[in-house]
Amino acid sequence: MAQNNNAEISRPVKRSEVSKIRWTWEEMKNNKTAYFMLAPFFLLFIIFTILPVVLSMLLSFTDFNMLQMPPHWMGMSNFTRLFLGDDIFLLACQNTLIFAAVTGPVSYLLSLLIAWFINELPPKIRAVVTLIFYAPSISGQVYLIWKTLFSSDSYGWVNATMIDLGVISEPILWFENADYVMPLCIVVALWTSLGTAFLSFIAGFQTIDRSMYEAAAVDGIKNRWQELWYITLPTMRPQLMFGAVLAITNSFGFGAVVDALCGFPSVDYAAHTIMHHLNDYGGQRYEIGYASAIAVLLFIIMFSSNVIIKKALSKVGE
Amino acid sequence: MKKPLFQRVMCFILSVATLLGAGGFTVAAGDLKPDTTAATLDEMKAVVGTTTYAEYIAGYKDAKPGKGVIQLSNDRVSGAVKVTESEQCKDANITEREDYDFENHQNAVYLSATSKATWTFDVADDEIGLYYIKVVYYNCDTRDSSISTIQRKLYLDDKIPFSEAGSLQFQKYWVTNNAETVVTDTDEEDKVFDPRYETRADGYYKVYSYVKDGKKYETTYKISQDINGNSMAPELVQSSAWHTYYCQDSTGYEHGYFMFHILNGNSHTLTLEAEREDMIVESIELIPVDTSVVDIPSYEDVKAEYEANGYKPAEGGNIYVIEAEFPDAVSDSSVYATNDNTSAANFPSTSKAQLYNVIGENSYNTVGQWAAYKFRVSKDGLYNISMRYKQSALQGMYVCRAVKLSGGKYGLSDGTPTAPFQEAYNARFDYNKEWQSNYLSDGSGEAFQFYFEEGVEYTIYLECSLGSLKELIQRVEVSLDKINECYLKILQLTGNDPDEYRDYKFDEIMPDVLYEFLVQAENLENVKNEFVELCGTTGSHVTTLHTIALLLDRMGSNYGDDVAANMSTLKSYLGTLGTWINNSKTSPMVVDSLTVAPSDSGKAGLKRATPNFFVSIGFEIASFFWSFFTEYDQMGLTRVPDADSKKIDVWLATGRDQSQIWRGLIDAKDGFTDRTGVAVTLKLVTGGTLLPSVLSGKGPDVYMGLGSTDVINYAIRDAVYAVSGNEKSFTEEQNKIFSSNYYTYIEDGKYVTSTVAPENYTGSGTYVENSKTLTFEEVLGAEDDPNYVKAALDTLQLQGMTFGIPQTMSFAMMFYRMDVLAELGQEVPESWGELLALLPVLQTNNMSIGVNYISAIDFMIYQKGGNMWKYPDDPDYQGAKIDLDSDVALEAFDYVCRLYSDYSFPVSYDAANRFRTGEMPIIIGDYASIYNQLVVYATEIAGLWEFTSLPGSFREDGSFNYNSLAGIGATVMLNGCKDILSSWQFMQWETSADIQAAYGNKMVALIGPSAKYESANVKALRDLSWTASEKLAIEEQMECLYSIVNYPGSYIINRYTKFAFLAAVNDGADAVDALTGYIDDINTEIYRKRQEFGMKVLEPGEEPGDVAGGDT
Repeated sequence: MAQNNNAEISRPVKRSEVSKIRWTWEEMKNNKTAYFMLAPFFLLFIIFTILPVVLSMLLSFTDFNMLQMPPHWMGMSNFTRLFLGDDIFLLACQNTLIFAAVTGPVSYLLSLLIAWFINELPPKIRAVVTLIFYAPSISGQVYLIWKTLFSSDSYGWVNATMIDLGVISEPILWFENADYVMPLCIVVALWTSLGTAFLSFIAGFQTIDRSMYEAAAVDGIKNRWQELWYITLPTMRPQLMFGAVLAITNSFGFGAVVDALCGFPSVDYAAHTIMHHLNDYGGQRYEIGYASAIAVLLFIIMFSSNVIIKKALSKVGE
Repeated sequence: MKKPLFQRVMCFILSVATLLGAGGFTVAAGDLKPDTTAATLDEMKAVVGTTTYAEYIAGYKDAKPGKGVIQLSNDRVSGAVKVTESEQCKDANITEREDYDFENHQNAVYLSATSKATWTFDVADDEIGLYYIKVVYYNCDTRDSSISTIQRKLYLDDKIPFSEAGSLQFQKYWVTNNAETVVTDTDEEDKVFDPRYETRADGYYKVYSYVKDGKKYETTYKISQDINGNSMAPELVQSSAWHTYYCQDSTGYEHGYFMFHILNGNSHTLTLEAEREDMIVESIELIPVDTSVVDIPSYEDVKAEYEANGYKPAEGGNIYVIEAEFPDAVSDSSVYATNDNTSAANFPSTSKAQLYNVIGENSYNTVGQWAAYKFRVSKDGLYNISMRYKQSALQGMYVCRAVKLSGGKYGLSDGTPTAPFQEAYNARFDYNKEWQSNYLSDGSGEAFQFYFEEGVEYTIYLECSLGSLKELIQRVEVSLDKINECYLKILQLTGNDPDEYRDYKFDEIMPDVLYEFLVQAENLENVKNEFVELCGTTGSHVTTLHTIALLLDRMGSNYGDDVAANMSTLKSYLGTLGTWINNSKTSPMVVDSLTVAPSDSGKAGLKRATPNFFVSIGFEIASFFWSFFTEYDQMGLTRVPDADSKKIDVWLATGRDQSQIWRGLIDAKDGFTDRTGVAVTLKLVTGGTLLPSVLSGKGPDVYMGLGSTDVINYAIRDAVYAVSGNEKSFTEEQNKIFSSNYYTYIEDGKYVTSTVAPENYTGSGTYVENSKTLTFEEVLGAEDDPNYVKAALDTLQLQGMTFGIPQTMSFAMMFYRMDVLAELGQEVPESWGELLALLPVLQTNNMSIGVNYISAIDFMIYQKGGNMWKYPDDPDYQGAKIDLDSDVALEAFDYVCRLYSDYSFPVSYDAANRFRTGEMPIIIGDYASIYNQLVVYATEIAGLWEFTSLPGSFREDGSFNYNSLAGIGATVMLNGCKDILSSWQFMQWETSADIQAAYGNKMVALIGPSAKYESANVKALRDLSWTASEKLAIEEQMECLYSIVNYPGSYIINRYTKFAFLAAVNDGADAVDALTGYIDDINTEIYRKRQEFGMKVLEPGEEPGDVAGGDT
């Protein structure tokens, strides 16, 4: 028997022989140093990211109001109200989708194209140009320059110029006029969007092995477009994914800039996004339960669009 | 600007007549047209049209000095009462004070803070000529006094002779109340000891001692400290004493005393009209100008005199160090010692705590402010005075101090200090970002020498002055006025945004303006060059002048292209120039110490300016280390609370200055802790902290300054306690706290609180003075003399309960530019009708009116007699529906929309800036914040603007109303409060009139006139440092205030009225249609919110009467 045992132990254990949980547990034990080193971040991540998301999901079924404990269980009523009883939410969804549909892809493609273009420049000039394009997103609240440009005051730059030219006689209330609010915000969003994604693209271009292009040329690549599609993009797929996730999160979560430019809420809810709706209920009306329901929906929308993008990106270079 | 004499005299007669008419305290009933406090056209013209002193005195170049002193008799005075007959003086026991010296001042008269006293006097024929005016006054501290400087307008024969005489400042003297003098007998010879500076366990001390005539005098000054060793601001008290004042300039442009030309004849009058504060006047004398009392020689002459008298450097004289943080007297309560840890060489300094070691920084920089120090020398002879200071604020410039002396041969016979020689007015301190140590001099490189005698007590006054820069700054100020005039003239032709492609023909229409541009360009360029020459460097400071000069030059010479194109640049440059003048007029400097040293001491008489490198770095490292152990929460805490004493947590979300003032008030003698034995932990938090803290159960007991919207938001969610009508949340026992008086007794060294009044008290303890705690009813004050206006309380009430006590109250008032309106010949509008009638005149001149539309919509509804909510008197249904769909409200809304669409009121504008340039001579906004902003930001128009109540509306029934919306910040008690009685005691102490006034006045004392505090307590307001006419205007508006109660869901109202307004103004939609379109949305939201809180709701179309008492 003893011999038998020994023989069993000395034989490598097969993956299929033990349950999944047991296998994981064994693996964890083997790599316990790694887990130990991972623990500090992991704990923080759970406490400050996972837990709030879970909590928020739970709260979305209650009427929690921030001050009174305990909240009452409301079942699905927050969600039914959201879809059936809240006109402004539907408006916010519409605005968000328009906003995301325009700024997301456009800013993504813009980042990619500009990064590609900059990549072709000599290193020194490249550094300078990179800084120029990246500057708007590192300088924090620099978008407030638009507030000066499009100030409603008759001394605002655009108003003053247009009055000078005789186009208008009374100042236009740019950020307080339902007709202009949305287009202006989209322009500002695009202007500030060349951020981290753009940098990672540039980095991605840098990592590509030059010899691959030579090999490709031998293999019969005809033009730069083919080079881009068959070599450049597939090689930098991780960066593309990273950029896409950022673009989506940004375009859905674009709220603070609108607040700073148009005030809260924007006139006639013209630039009211889901994010604003969330702030409205969470911050102003203290209806955290309802706000959580909105947040959960926003989470689902973002998550699913990420999945779709991931699928789409896997097609790159095929 | 100059008007014929006849017209000017007429103006004055008229203005005097109107002033007398409006003099009394007119209290207007809510619905009647007020006896307005706004200035009349004539008054405004009087302000604008007077000459300057320079012009005045130029007219009397050849006039002779007067002959003989003319004494004005207090028996021939009207508008003032004898001190012995004045109620205020009797209340304050003025005449019984030692320093009043009643024996010698029996005939003095009392001039109240609203008085206008007129002396009548006769002048013989040969007495015609130029005179100084000397006033002997006593600064009283009656109930009507506050911390402001005494300010008077001087009239001669009912006319202000020149504009500077319109704001004479009579200084008060402030001393610390913690100096004690001990006199002991001794056999020692007469001698002077060096002053000793010691940091002891309980504070930082200065000991000043000397022996004279067999007696040793020892004065101990103390700066006390908190439990962590941080110095605490010594309390400054007014030293009421007799002072001599010669009429002089308070702006710092004119040195020396004003000369007045007095004509012969009988029954001339001299009038002092009160602007601020009350005072007692013993005598007024006209002194011929050739009297030698004020003749100040040049330094050359003084040196020659030293030589003639054989004065030598004081051999063997001691080097006498005066630490600047112990002034013997200061001119202003805002000149106080402070801490500076930027150099290890500051004495005393420790990296552990903040010890007061310097004086100055931001509060000792305005012309006329001074600090005075006493000293004695040990040997006769010549001395230099050196100073260790830091002047790092004005790059490329120097600041000046006027050095004045009294004692011995210096100063006037009655102790008023004078400059020993002309150059002493200009003691000069150059810019350096490091600390410096230098002998006083005027920049010529030669240190001033002073002759001091042994055994005489001297006092040195260091007074902020413009010194040798005054003339240059004055020239820039004149330039600014001229350029501003030009700017307005062009603006009247071209409008805000001139078309640069159009030929306006400036050279034909206004050649004088173009010429003026060139003249001012040259003037500014000259000033700049002289500045560079004087200061020896070109800093950014003078470059400003150069840039503006260049622009003016271009605009003047190339008028075809450059005038229209550069109007907006010119506008911003005007602002820059105004700021430039402001900066140049302040003379900020931090002073560590003064050293009086025999004039041959050389380096020995200078303190080391900067420590050596290693000391410095050691100090920095230690400071960094100690910063981890500093308990900022405990700043100013003077006693560690006993373990068993009562404690409450109080939070406030203001600035650090504010919280330190509260700390001081709480800990002061007779402060809150002293009266009640309750220790207060005061925490300065950021605005959003309250919500999460309440949520997590770590909230405070009391929160100060919570906005009324949040009060109601928290209240409906049970997060704050009601302080009246609170049966729901409190037990009967607890509820009694708010309806009984409590008294504090000390029994066996412990504080005991009891409801037994002192007269019935039989226990062994002693009653603590002023410890009576009021009931809620008493906090509100008597019904006929309430502490709070109704509007202030309305907004804190919900369902019969009151949540908190009002602390601050802000409301909109109307600010107007007197000079602009006077020039246009327009009265200040009192109603919207008048305002609209004025509008075409303004618009022809390309001017406009600034009103915020959101507040306009609100107050217009209430002015027209509407209400925001339906059923205001139904306790169940108040706030259940919005009343914006009523005829009155719709009419008001439509009216406001038309102001912006038809009358082109600007929707968006920079109010302070446009008010300053005069483009917006009328703006409406929160009185305290706009006042505070204008005081610091637009000093060049100081005295040219005033504020008054809002324009009013006539209602359908013919009544008149000028309602303004009150915004309230309240002190609240939070749910979970651990000690309800102590918290309530604190709340009612904190909001009481005395404490509110003390707080407001300390703010002004500490931060300056731009820190006016808008207390909600009506009685506190009376003691704050507004001028009499400002107070009157504020009180008038307070009579006519309303507030909008924040019922659940009210946040939605402004949102939708804003949408409707913008639709009407942007797209020309019909205002009424736009608003009515949103009514349902608003009501739905309110319905939903009321349901959430279980309040009674009304279905659409339902009236309270329809609901048959049953459930809804």
